[in-house]
Amino acid sequence: MSRLGGVVARRAAQALAVAIGVSALCFVITQRLPGGIAYRIAAGRYGYDMVDADAAASVRDELGLDRPLWQQLGEWVVDLLQLDLGRSLVTSQPVMTEVSHYLAATLQLALLSIVIAVIAGAGIGVVAARRPGGFADRFSSLWVAGVRAVPPFLLGLLLMIVLSAQLGLFPAVGHGDGGIVLPALTLGLSLSGLVARVTRDAVIEVRGSAYVEFAQTKGLPERWVLVRHVLRNAAVSLVPYLGVQFVVLIEGVVVVESLFAWDGLGHSLVHAVFWRDIPVLQASALVLALLIVLVNTLVDLAVLGLDPRPRGRAVAA
Amino acid sequence: MNLKATGVVVRTGSLVLADVPDVHIEAGKPLSIVGESGSGKSILAHALMGTLPPELSAVGSLAVGDAAFDLAERDSRRRLWGREVALLPQEPALALDPTMRVRAQVAEGVAGWTPRSRAALEAADTRLGQVGLAGASSSYPHTLSGGMAQRVAYAAATVGGAKVLILDEPSKGLDRASVDQLADLLLGHLDEGGLLLTITHDLRLARRLGGEVMVMREAAVVESGPAEVVLTSPAEDYTKRLLAAEPVHWRHPWMRTGAPDDGDVLVRAEAITKSYAHKVVFDGVDIEIRAGERVAITGPSGAGKTTLGNALLGLTEVDSGSVTYGRGAGKGRMQKLYQDPALSFPQRVSLEKAMGDVMRRHGIDASQVEAMLERLGLPYEILRRRPGQVSGGELQRIAVVRAMLPKPSLVFADEATSRLDLVTQEQTVDALMSEVSESGAALLVVTHDVDLSAALADREVAL
Repeated sequence: MSRLGGVVARRAAQALAVAIGVSALCFVITQRLPGGIAYRIAAGRYGYDMVDADAAASVRDELGLDRPLWQQLGEWVVDLLQLDLGRSLVTSQPVMTEVSHYLAATLQLALLSIVIAVIAGAGIGVVAARRPGGFADRFSSLWVAGVRAVPPFLLGLLLMIVLSAQLGLFPAVGHGDGGIVLPALTLGLSLSGLVARVTRDAVIEVRGSAYVEFAQTKGLPERWVLVRHVLRNAAVSLVPYLGVQFVVLIEGVVVVESLFAWDGLGHSLVHAVFWRDIPVLQASALVLALLIVLVNTLVDLAVLGLDPRPRGRAVAA
Repeated sequence: MNLKATGVVVRTGSLVLADVPDVHIEAGKPLSIVGESGSGKSILAHALMGTLPPELSAVGSLAVGDAAFDLAERDSRRRLWGREVALLPQEPALALDPTMRVRAQVAEGVAGWTPRSRAALEAADTRLGQVGLAGASSSYPHTLSGGMAQRVAYAAATVGGAKVLILDEPSKGLDRASVDQLADLLLGHLDEGGLLLTITHDLRLARRLGGEVMVMREAAVVESGPAEVVLTSPAEDYTKRLLAAEPVHWRHPWMRTGAPDDGDVLVRAEAITKSYAHKVVFDGVDIEIRAGERVAITGPSGAGKTTLGNALLGLTEVDSGSVTYGRGAGKGRMQKLYQDPALSFPQRVSLEKAMGDVMRRHGIDASQVEAMLERLGLPYEILRRRPGQVSGGELQRIAVVRAMLPKPSLVFADEATSRLDLVTQEQTVDALMSEVSESGAALLVVTHDVDLSAALADREVAL
């Protein structure tokens, strides 16, 4: 089997296992949450003031919530295999429509954040690596410590106060014109610290390698040594790291999405838990889990393209 | 054209690493510098090239043709690189970028290279053809043997048309056939009017190249003169010792002519076969090793010697056939010495800690460790350091101690001294063989050096 095929097959099997595991786990956890499910759903639909035992009973009847658990779970799995994620218990919208809307919003935010993190972080890292211990390097250490020490919600509030309230450059909340800038900056800047650090270390290591010195003594101009040998090889360690960070970003956006009222998956997950909207909850968790498998697959493929050397078992030879 | 360097002194802090008053190289007449590791010969080459690590400082002057340079100015020679002066680095396998195809790497050395320049790629193909590697141009470095990587590096270093070629330990880890192929290329470079400065501890290569030889020890020049004089009838004691360190000249008490009388069978391999992907490494091999026997597996690089040795020790699974073990070859009774000792010790902990694990595992007490270290000429205090803080020769002797402490019935030395200079090699082999001889252990040696194999083994398995 080719190595490309191997990666794809291995990751596809992983995706299936993750899908089954995550769905079952979500289901069990929602059932174990305190408070009557039917009451919470009724509250989500009609508002807290309108909920009484009758409303809860009618919700329970309509959704079949008193059936045995295994039946409810089995039904969901059967539907899932037909790619039918069901309808939201609260809004009665198809879950597929809701979740894909949230997913698009989250991906938009995560991608822009990672772009900001790479531009700021990798840029600082490469400059810092030119002279370890020099001014740029010390500045980068300060940057790393600074952006890591400030929690995202605090950084978000600071950006809001400065860029939105004081300077009026971008809107503070929502999806309107430029609304993505502040949440993306918040996430991107927090991430840029570690990206800078990882880039700096990778670049310093690669610059000290025998093949970089040889590229220089061959007579290759310094800027081409940087582009063709240093950055490429540094990327071999940087890309998997960015993959992990992207995953953290997707999962960790809950706070920032809530802060900026950004309608993404994190946001929807919080609400689904709150209202016990099991189909939306399961679908959101499922999409997040599959997204992580997808990101890891892309990272594997990117590294395979960057670095042709065999790894894992094949190396033992 | 010629190259002249005068008053070269390289220091780190106040410690002098190389002090060479005069280096003179003429076209067509090579200069080889020989000596132990740490004698300052590589440092001299890098001082001339302008590639010293930043913590070292050099003084002196250099003239290449009509151009004069001050060695203290680090960047002054950069414009010569690849065009006038080229360096063939140590360990060519590491000097090639693992992520780039060979052809593109050679093309980068062409004068006037730009990305996607057709002419440069064609020049690279031509040069690769000249070194006998026309078929390898789209390979990645990890698929090349050591000798092929060496020739790729040679092509990349010389494709820019540099007259002056500096080689840093070009024969390290290479088998004899590969060294000979390289020597042919170097003699060709001389015929075309090139200048050659070779740093090596391979006296055979130095003899083959001829010209002038300079012997260095402890940062200074011991002796210099024509190769045929210095390398056959040297005047200085140190040079004599260097020549005596070649395996063909060894005289040690542990050397013997015959194998001992039939010992019990330790390892028996029957019809074993192994292949990786689509390449057959060995097919239908039968080997038997008996207690106390000394067996060498020889052959060129890439012939599968190490894989065969690993298969015999059970470190690699075979595809078919069987490997069975006698009573003396139980768990922990077979030990391996690795080619690169630095990779066989944990890098970030002290040697004492690494050794402590072995002592606990095999119930050995500290006095035995101390006694064995002393026999091999190592102070116990050396274990306080980390692997990176001792020399390659010392570390390999510590690896010998580690392998011999559990009283193995079979020791597998996998090219254990191929990266060491001659004097250090003899010292390390002497350490290993004294212990092997003392304990009566069997020995399995993998080496590409036929002289070494002849000195060590009772019998040889050629691949």
